[in-house]
Amino acid sequence: MTALAFRLEVRRSRMVAFWMAVIVLAYGGIVAAMYPILQENAQVFEDYMKIFPQELLAAFGMTGSLADPGVFFGTYIGSMLWPVVAAIAAIILATRPVAADVERGWADVALGTPLTRARFLAAAIVSQALVLAVLAMATVGGVLVIGRLVGADFDPGRFAAATVVLWLFGCAVAGVTSLVGAITLSRAIAGGLAAGVLILMYLVNIVAQVQVDLAWLADFGAFKYLLMTELIDTGVVPWASGAIFAVVAVGGWAASLLVFRRRDLLA
Amino acid sequence: MAEAIELRGLTRWYGKRRGVIDLDVTVEEGEVFGFLGPNGAGKTTTIRMLLGLIRPSAGSATIWGLDTWRDAPAVHRRLAHLGSDPGYLGGLTAAETLDHLAALRGVAKGAWRSLAKRLDLDPTVQVKKLSRGNRQKVGVVQAFMGVEPLLVMDEPSTGLDPLMQREFLALVAEARAAGRTVFLSSHNLTEVERACDRVAIIREGRLVKIATVAALVGDHTRSVNLVLARPAENGTFDLPGVTVLSSTGQDVHVMVRGDVNPLLRRLAGLELRDIAISTPDVEDVFFRYYEGSVAGSEGRTTAATGTEAPVETSR
Repeated sequence: MTALAFRLEVRRSRMVAFWMAVIVLAYGGIVAAMYPILQENAQVFEDYMKIFPQELLAAFGMTGSLADPGVFFGTYIGSMLWPVVAAIAAIILATRPVAADVERGWADVALGTPLTRARFLAAAIVSQALVLAVLAMATVGGVLVIGRLVGADFDPGRFAAATVVLWLFGCAVAGVTSLVGAITLSRAIAGGLAAGVLILMYLVNIVAQVQVDLAWLADFGAFKYLLMTELIDTGVVPWASGAIFAVVAVGGWAASLLVFRRRDLLA
Repeated sequence: MAEAIELRGLTRWYGKRRGVIDLDVTVEEGEVFGFLGPNGAGKTTTIRMLLGLIRPSAGSATIWGLDTWRDAPAVHRRLAHLGSDPGYLGGLTAAETLDHLAALRGVAKGAWRSLAKRLDLDPTVQVKKLSRGNRQKVGVVQAFMGVEPLLVMDEPSTGLDPLMQREFLALVAEARAAGRTVFLSSHNLTEVERACDRVAIIREGRLVKIATVAALVGDHTRSVNLVLARPAENGTFDLPGVTVLSSTGQDVHVMVRGDVNPLLRRLAGLELRDIAISTPDVEDVFFRYYEGSVAGSEGRTTAATGTEAPVETSR
């Protein structure tokens, strides 16, 4: 029964997964294709970047030379593409079973059968994790494959580890959004809250980078733990960050299961 | 006969807003039970509690002894549900929707095809491209495709054309013949009159009447128009339950409440040129309850006073 619900959830997620994968592959491929140009003209780019305010560079994670693979990946993927893609996908997918389906009445139809609430939501959660994994692989894979094709010395092992961390970050967003959705039963509120908190954390992270006395603020945001630059440059996998994202994801999903099982389903 | 559904003091508040209050209803196995009331009376709230989607504020709802909230999965193995506007997924075709729901309910794949054909439903069309009526047909097919012993339907024929409404009533009759129990909420009075064995009338969240359809109609007044061969003598119609509304010599219009036999015996002694007796339908009865006329005439307080009225029960 859970498998049936899971298959349907995956099917319903196909279009989101497909089009977002196309976007990340296209974007990742294009920026990866530019990487040799950045390497060849590193000094020119560094001089050029100096004309921008430090806050702007910090906002996009440009804390070093773009010719450096870690900075390059952290800037274009870790600080820009993936947070946006993960947030959109996580919000769309995580608010669907606990809020959108309740609002549109599909939850009434599905839960009017012997399918339990726990199985209904668990199937959706597994499909969220699956789609986010596909998107993370597409995001990193696009950069890696196109980068290698154009001669970039990207390390597949480090990129694979980055995929896992990015995936866990996306799962954390989905877990928390799922919980907020189960509490509010409103896609608009849950999606708005999740997006708002992510944007706030992003801004907090920027402020923490440019204001030394406010550096402690970064501890309260998710982006401090998305350590892509170090991972790609040094190969040191941020297991602690990954563990934090995993705990938040599993905790959010588990709590949303508990809440969803016990609450009135009122659209 | 076993009790399929039992509501005991079932109450639901949405904060300070009234859902239903203190419902006591028993639906016996094998009967078709109508739950009648206008929009906002509490019909859908009751059905959502029967499905275990919302929790009662007080009281209980059980289906074959199983608590509908606590034992929801077990309850759902015994019932099929149809909502008034099912939120099917627009991207699936009717066939995919029905196959998915059939699989969840353990119904054989494709078991719905004969029903779809009977209701003239094209299963290859995506749900989002179906008209309101055709979407409701998907719901009717979905509800009747299984063999669950209980059907719970919330305004099931909404959006169906008259031909399909007739087919729907035929399906209900077949379900009853097969021994299935049907709980049908509606504000379609004709549907209730044709389909149901018993009816509960709910007003502003409270139950005001439970009766068989026959008793509901039979309990109420009949209008009798007489054309006499010669004017009746004074006091001819001074009978229990008979009220003369108008009399113009040979044309007499009387209302009879309750037993009609005294009037018929009196008429047997008169020479009649014509007689017309009309009985009220469920609609007349329903409107009487909602207009408060019955409440007033039977010593009950009206809804406007906000005080509680006793439930009438007749079989």
